[in-house]
This record gives sequence, C-alpha cells and structure tokens, in this order.
Amino acid sequence: MVKTVKMSKPERAKKLMETKLLYRIKTGKWIWTIARYAILVLLAYQLLYPIIYMISASVKAPIDSYDPSVIWIPKHFSATGFLDAFKTMKYMDALVRSLGIGLGCAILDVISCALAGYGFARYKFPLKTFFFACVILTLIVPTQTIILPYYMNMRYFDPLGIMTLFSKITGNNTMINLVGSNAAFFIPSALGAGIRSGLYIYIFKQFFEGMSAALEESAYVDGSGPLRTFVHIMLPNAKNAIITVFLFSFVWHFNDYYLSKQLLGTGKRTLIVALSSLRVDLAAVIGGQTTTDPIRIQTRIQAGCLLAILPMFLLYIVTQRKLADSIEHIGIK
Amino acid sequence: MKKKIPYYQKKKIYGFLFITPWLLGFLLFFVVPFVQSCLYAFQDLTTSPEGMVGEWIGSYNFSYALFRDTDFLIQCANSLKDLVTVPLILVYSICFALLLKKEYAGRTTMRAIAFLPVIIGSGVLMDIMKTDVFSSGVKGAETVYLFSGGGLTGLFTSMGLSPDMIGFINNVIGKIFDLTWRSGVQILLFLAGLHNIPSYVYEAAEIEGANALEQFFKITLPMLTPMILLNVVYSVIDIFSDFGNTIIQMIYNMAFTNVRFGYSSALSILYFMMIAVVLVIVYLVMKRFIVHPEE
Repeated sequence: MVKTVKMSKPERAKKLMETKLLYRIKTGKWIWTIARYAILVLLAYQLLYPIIYMISASVKAPIDSYDPSVIWIPKHFSATGFLDAFKTMKYMDALVRSLGIGLGCAILDVISCALAGYGFARYKFPLKTFFFACVILTLIVPTQTIILPYYMNMRYFDPLGIMTLFSKITGNNTMINLVGSNAAFFIPSALGAGIRSGLYIYIFKQFFEGMSAALEESAYVDGSGPLRTFVHIMLPNAKNAIITVFLFSFVWHFNDYYLSKQLLGTGKRTLIVALSSLRVDLAAVIGGQTTTDPIRIQTRIQAGCLLAILPMFLLYIVTQRKLADSIEHIGIK
Repeated sequence: MKKKIPYYQKKKIYGFLFITPWLLGFLLFFVVPFVQSCLYAFQDLTTSPEGMVGEWIGSYNFSYALFRDTDFLIQCANSLKDLVTVPLILVYSICFALLLKKEYAGRTTMRAIAFLPVIIGSGVLMDIMKTDVFSSGVKGAETVYLFSGGGLTGLFTSMGLSPDMIGFINNVIGKIFDLTWRSGVQILLFLAGLHNIPSYVYEAAEIEGANALEQFFKITLPMLTPMILLNVVYSVIDIFSDFGNTIIQMIYNMAFTNVRFGYSSALSILYFMMIAVVLVIVYLVMKRFIVHPEE
C-alpha cells in the first residue's frame, strides 16, 4: 500500500533541494559544481583585472609607486590624476559630443535598419538577393578603404549632385561642409549607412523572419496598410531586436575612433579621440612642471581611461539585465 | 475607372519602399566613396586649394605596393598570422557561452562581466591597456605586468625559471588576455544561438540515453553551425580592421602623414581584396558543415 504524505509548498521545495543535493553528492557532480565556480572566478578575475588596475593606478599618489608593500590599495590617495585628465581631455565638451553622437545615431539606426530589415524579411522584390549581398558587403569593407573619399564627400556634401545643380541655378557656389558637425554621423545613420549598420539590418531581418506572418495577414484583411502594420504591429513586438540594436549602435558609435577623428576635424573631439591623444597632450601640459615622469603620466592616463569608460559603464550597469535578456531571446539564427 | 494594381504587384513596390532609405545611404555613403577610392588608386593625388588634383599613372601604385614596397607584403603576412586566434576565440566563446547558459547562483553577475568587453573594449582602450596595463614590466614591451600584482613573476623566478621562460609565459598570458577581450560579441552571439535550440531536442536525446558529451557534439554543435559561420566572419573582420593592426595604421599614415593619397587608396584596396579572399575561402570551407535546422 502506498501512503501519500501531504506536504506544504515550502516543505516540498526544501525536500526537492535536499534530494538534489544528495544526488549531486552521490554522483560526484559536486566536483563539477566546484570546478565551474573556480573557472568562473578565474574568468571574472581576468576580465575585471584591467578595471581594478585602472582604479588602483589612478588614485595612487606618486610615492606609493615606489613602495613595494603597495600592491592594490594605495596608502596615499591622490585625485590630481583625475583632475589633470579631466582638464586635458576637455571632458565635459567631449562627453556631450560623444553622448550626442551615440544617442542620435542609435535612434536613427534603429529606425532605418528596422525598415530595411523588415523589407528584406517580408517582401519579395526584384534583385532582393543582390541587395542583401550588398548589405553584407558594406560590413566586410573596412572603413579605411573608403575613408578618403568619404571624408571628401562630407567636406563638400553634394548628394546626387543636387547641390551642384542648386549652385548652378542660383549662380553662387555654396557647398555644405558637414565636417565638424554631428550631422556627419546622423545623415549616414538615418540612411542605414552608419557604423556597422549592415549588422543591424541583418539582426532585424532575422528577427522579423522569425515572427509569425499571421499577424500581418490579419492586419491586411482588416484593412491596414503596410506602413501602419509595421509601426503598430511589428515594431511593438520587436522590443528585443530594438534594444539590442540600440545598445550596439550606441556603444559602437561611442567607441568609434577613425570616423570620429576624421569627420569632426580639429578641436572637436569625442571621448575616445581625446583618450587616444591623451599621452601626447599630457606631456605638453605637465611638461612645464615636471619633465617626463612616466609614473605621473601613467596615473593620469589610467584616470583618463576610467573617465572615458565611465558613461558607458554606468549605462551598462543600469541596462545590462535588459540587454542580456533581449539578446538571449532575440532568436537570430 | 482607375485600374487596380494587383496585390502581389503592390507588395513588390512596398518592399522596395521599405529598403529605399537604405538604398540611398548605400549609394551615397558606400558605392560613391568606394568607386572613388578605386579611381584614386590609379592616380597620383595632390591637394590644392580647389580640392584634390589627380594625375593618371595607371597601375603604378599597385605594382609599387606589390613589388617595391617590401613593408606592405610583410605586414599582410603578419595580419594573416593573426588569424590563428580565430579558432581560439571560437572555442573560448563557445565554452563561455555554455557556462552562462545554465541557471545557477551568480549567473546574472557573471553574464554582466562576460559582456563587459563589448561595452568598453574599444580599440583605443585596448591599445592603452596593452601598452600600460599588460606590459609595464621592467624588461621592455614584451614583459607582461599582468600577474605581478599576484606575485606570479616572483613565483616563477623563485622556481628557477630563466627570464626568457618567464617572458614566454608572460607573453602567452598576455595573448590570453587579448583573446578574452576580443570575444565579447562572439560570446553574446553564441548565447543567443544556444537559447535558440529548442529544449525538446535535448529532452528527446536524454530519453534516448545520450550523455552530456554526445548531446554537445550531436545536438549543440550542429545546431550552432550557422552561428559559428557568423562568428568566424565577424572575428576575421574584427581582427583585420582593428585599431592596433599595423596595415590599418600604415594605410592611415600613408594618407594623413605622408600625404600619398593615391598610394594609400591602392594599399587599402589591395588589403580589402585580401580580406575578401580570406572570407570567401572561409565561407566555401564552412558551407559544407552548416546545418539548417528547419529543413
């Protein structure tokens, strides 16, 4: 005769935990559990090492660098590294520019790439395969291959000869110069040709292909036009893809070096460009007081690195769970 | 009466309309510069107040790069050597993604740490890290400072290893570092791929008596093959267009320091062709192994 014992929910959960633990101990799986945590700790250590190093190095006072008993936590703290780096990088100015470019391009990229991705995923039109191959082509051509004419196009912005035509009609030669303004980044992004836009189009295409077509069919039967279907039915369901593309675009525009350096011209710098020339700039600034003291420069560069990654880092702490969840469930194949 | 366009015809037009913004951007910001870059490569360009003035010199730039500029081909070969890291990146990121897939205490934190390189690992930062964080040792650029905080170098010395050996080990550790900081996006993509494998496949396999290893090689790996292709392509492009890549720096300096625009364009086009050849080979080799789950 089988006797059934009634248990409350927490009791049952506890019992289950115990059996699981027992099972793990019996089968020797606990070794695997310990090994896994050991591996994870190692991986975490080596990924976090540079950041720990930066923090440690940037707050160290110069005396501590010669003190062998100081390894991670300095005995004397000093904030001059941060202050110098802050000043030399023209931090606020660079931060505003970086955030402006990052946010603007991220929004524009989401819109333009979602449109293109949806077009590729759901509609059949002539040359579709060819055009999609072109999307991939834009990804594999390095920026450096086209940067020279790209720069010239931005310097004398003349889309499809419209400006030339315009200046011929009016008689005076006015050329738009986009170099130095954030528009040099916004216009390509709005047209799906920003940094790594091809990848975003690919992500959106894969995502929309994974969605059921029944929704659109019923929308069509109910008399909704394609654009309306897209805006009111497809986009609200594409939250995962939108979050992923937005964050990717933001991060990559924020971290970009080549285009930012070229297209912004002299004097206008993003955080990353400012960081890249920090060593040279510092030598010029500190040069007056102390000649080449490597440790002082080192401290300031580490402080500069921290300052440069700080906005991204803060954003990441807030959004990481959302980003990770979206990516895990985006369903790209 | 107005003639109605049939729905399937309309759909073609709508599809075209959806990609029109992209098409415009593609023409303006890709095709035009690319064609111009190709044209520049056949010219000797000088800057003048009216813009760039070019003189046609045929394929001189190309022949100079291939036969007379010894540096370029050597640097190309070095770049190709960097491709060795691609399989390592793949293995590392698959393992890491597998570790992140299952539920356990601390998984969210670990996942956040794993994606950190995606967020902050820009080329400039990597470069500074390489020169400062990784190799601020006493013995020049190649000694890696990495674990000296943990006293590893001291440990090796007391174990009686020669400085060369320590240098070698440090170098390997430095390479591992480089590898892990390059693998952020790959881990992310693999994780997405892993979550895409339906759980009923594993359940069926378990009922049939497949162990964990068999499940990995017969289910996980084949189902991941499309993702592997994507990751290989991504890694190859990433390595070739990296900030610290010497050819990239060479092309850049040639244009903006040496002011040889035509020659710089020729180099960049040769370089692109090399990348294209590598990618085509990768694709042709991998095509046979790709599994399409739906079919």
